Amino acid sequence: MSGPGQRFPGFDVLSQSGNWDPVTARVVLARVGPAGDLRFFTPAEGQAAAALLDRLLGQADGPGVPLVGLVDARLSEGRTDGWRYDDMPEDGRAWRDSLSFLDADALAGVGLGFAACPAADQEALIQAIRDLGPADWHGMAAGHIWSLWTRYACTAFYSHPSAWNEIGFPGPAYPRGYKNAGVDRREPFEVRDARPSDDPVPEGA
Amino acid sequence: MGGVRARNESAWLLPNDGTRTHHALRENMRTFADGDEVDVVIVGCGAGGATLLQRLARAGLRVVALDAGPFWDPDRDWVSDEAGSHHLYWTEPRVITGDDPVPLGSNNSGRGVGGSMVHYAGFTPRFHPSDFRTRILDGVGADWPIRYCDLRPYYRDLEEELPVAGERWPWGDPHGYPHRPHPVGGNGEVFLRGARKLGITAKVGPVAIANGRFGNRPHCIYRGFCLQGCKVNAKASPLITHIPDALARGAEVRADSMVTSIEVDQRTGRAKGVRYVRDGRPHFQRAAMVAVAGYSIETPRLLLNSASSRFPDGLCNDFDQVGRYLMVQGAPQTAGRFDAEVRMYKAPPPEVSSEEFYETDPAKPYKRGFSLQTVSPLPITWAEHVAAQGHWGRVLRDYMRDYVHWSCLGALCEFLPQPGNRVTLAQETDGYGLPVARFSYSQCDNDRLLMRAAQAVMENLLRAAGAGEVITIDRYAHLVGGARMAADERHGVVDADCRTFAVPNLYITDGSVLPTQGSANPALTIMAVAARAADHMAGGAR
Ligand SMILES: Cc1cc2nc3c(=O)[nH]c(=O)nc-3n(C[C@H](O)[C@H](O)[C@H](O)COP(=O)(O)OP(=O)(O)OC[C@H]3O[C@@H](n4cnc5c(N)ncnc54)[C@H](O)[C@@H]3O)c2cc1C
Ligand code: SF4
Repeated sequence: MSGPGQRFPGFDVLSQSGNWDPVTARVVLARVGPAGDLRFFTPAEGQAAAALLDRLLGQADGPGVPLVGLVDARLSEGRTDGWRYDDMPEDGRAWRDSLSFLDADALAGVGLGFAACPAADQEALIQAIRDLGPADWHGMAAGHIWSLWTRYACTAFYSHPSAWNEIGFPGPAYPRGYKNAGVDRREPFEVRDARPSDDPVPEGA
Repeated sequence: MGGVRARNESAWLLPNDGTRTHHALRENMRTFADGDEVDVVIVGCGAGGATLLQRLARAGLRVVALDAGPFWDPDRDWVSDEAGSHHLYWTEPRVITGDDPVPLGSNNSGRGVGGSMVHYAGFTPRFHPSDFRTRILDGVGADWPIRYCDLRPYYRDLEEELPVAGERWPWGDPHGYPHRPHPVGGNGEVFLRGARKLGITAKVGPVAIANGRFGNRPHCIYRGFCLQGCKVNAKASPLITHIPDALARGAEVRADSMVTSIEVDQRTGRAKGVRYVRDGRPHFQRAAMVAVAGYSIETPRLLLNSASSRFPDGLCNDFDQVGRYLMVQGAPQTAGRFDAEVRMYKAPPPEVSSEEFYETDPAKPYKRGFSLQTVSPLPITWAEHVAAQGHWGRVLRDYMRDYVHWSCLGALCEFLPQPGNRVTLAQETDGYGLPVARFSYSQCDNDRLLMRAAQAVMENLLRAAGAGEVITIDRYAHLVGGARMAADERHGVVDADCRTFAVPNLYITDGSVLPTQGSANPALTIMAVAARAADHMAGGAR
């Protein structure tokens, strides 16, 4: 299995931050700074959320993006998407409720709170919810809670320069822009994929 | 281009010193007092509202446009970053429901001066002549009370004002564009290659991104952040294409002003002005005419929230038409994996399109059609595409590591207007104490057939271009309708000139009035409809 950074050896988005406009730099660099205290989640919720988010993004071996901090900041500042499915409460409530349901599932199945479960059990609990599809999970459509979790998790993870390093994406591009667009063309600061035929897991695997 | 400048000086009123905002123009803008009866007050300063504002100011009317969001300065307010652009979207609470609920937020409307065009992709095709007569031609949808030829001169004018770049357009009413097509990036290259292999005609454009300098607007720098707001001033939005000229002609833009209701004189039945909240305080702007242009969800919501004794079920809603016939386009998105590096994040996402499947094909089991376009999602949006396959954890990360190898196309399927697809009011209220919009959507059989047909074509095309694996997700784009134009008040809310049937001095001039949507992106048509309504209003339609 490919490890972080291996496909784009030496590629480091932050090494280019001197080329970013100051407004963008402020916003992006704030994400790589030290995570502050949680403001939205209670400490117990924060532990469950951290475990859930790390599993959803497969963070066991890094790169250690502070997912719970990023999600907590969004929820505490009300930076939600606004819309919600009619069988769901607003996002903040939905996060709290779903974390407590996840704990309940963990206690029933494993005898521990979700955060305290071994990683393999956490993964099994998550997969069970995923497998429900549109079916009911504690009074809400499992697919709707799945959508909420993955939207917040993916937005947090792929907003982080460490994530951009592993996918070969250079991040902010103003005011420099790109001069070499086109198939198999690169800018001097982009790094060629060292393993271009490393097709991801085939469909159905 | 001298002709454009004489009609609309916006591009020449922007600074040419590397900054993006003419601050003095805003600071010295003419302002009106609440008690001043202006000729027209406009609700919403997006595609429809800002175009109307500029046209009416040019005609010499005293006009003010209110927008709930900020008066953007691209230098100060926008970032070259996906997650950091969240503030561009309308994120007030909304409830979605129906058999096929449509997620909103970042994928739909915007908030602030410039409206949703601040973060739209920038494709600006015209509608086809057939879009105005789908009922007569195909027995589905609705016929507009106007024809394509009524909009043609407005299309032509606006294409010069934005300006639009692209190859000569062979579909619909064939036409050329004022700016040459842009060079394409990896994603556009893949699309063109696959289309050529299959014998499908595809063309570069049409995009509202100047190719070369336009007035004081610089050239695109191909940085791919069009959906995050263009910090360069290369991509057109009303903030730079119509607002500067409007201000220079004496219009006022009042930002951070949320309109909460339209007031109607219960005796005369005429609109008197609008109530709005600014800095936490209630205001009332008097006006001889009112135009609503708040987007297909907020416009019907505002009408429904403006109920009175004369209109107990909502303003202009005597025949239960407000909020109905809302449409989204089915927008399945298909990605293909190449061993070569595509790096689709370079170049604007809108590059190449095909309208070869736009019209009804009698050999097919469905009516109407779809268009195909490049979409080029950035990492967060791409992660949603991958996660929608059911992937999570390590598998999701492995797919994502492969980002530079993927090419991504989107279709726009013409979903049909249906009465049950509508906005109503929810129980829940927002921060102003107003009931929020509840938006219900369900697809019909024709809609579903189009989605699958478009998916099949995109998958074939990407395979023909050399893709290994292909993956498709179902998405939606572009809300229009909800207060449609019709021949009479039993079938719609406004007449052919965008004047409401119920209130003679109340107009609706945004995407809400569209009776059908074709498979074209709607912004240019929304602007054209608003520009045409402006001619009517300025012609002394009181
Ligand atoms: C991600 C994305 C990509 C898109 N890509 C394209 C594309 O490539 N091509 C295309 O043609 N279209 C595209 N669109 C769609 C296009 O941007 C919209 O259809 C169009 O801007 C709608 O115009 P409008 O005038 O109806 O509303 P808007 O442009 O949304 O303007 C409405 C304005 O009204 C304001 N407002 C609302 N309610 C109130 C109130 N009560 N009081 C005061 N102000 C209010 C809002 O703040 C907003 O500024 C895209 C949209 C999105 C979200
Ligand atoms: S790609 Fe071009 S048009 Fe798009 S945001 Fe960047 S500079 Fe603007």
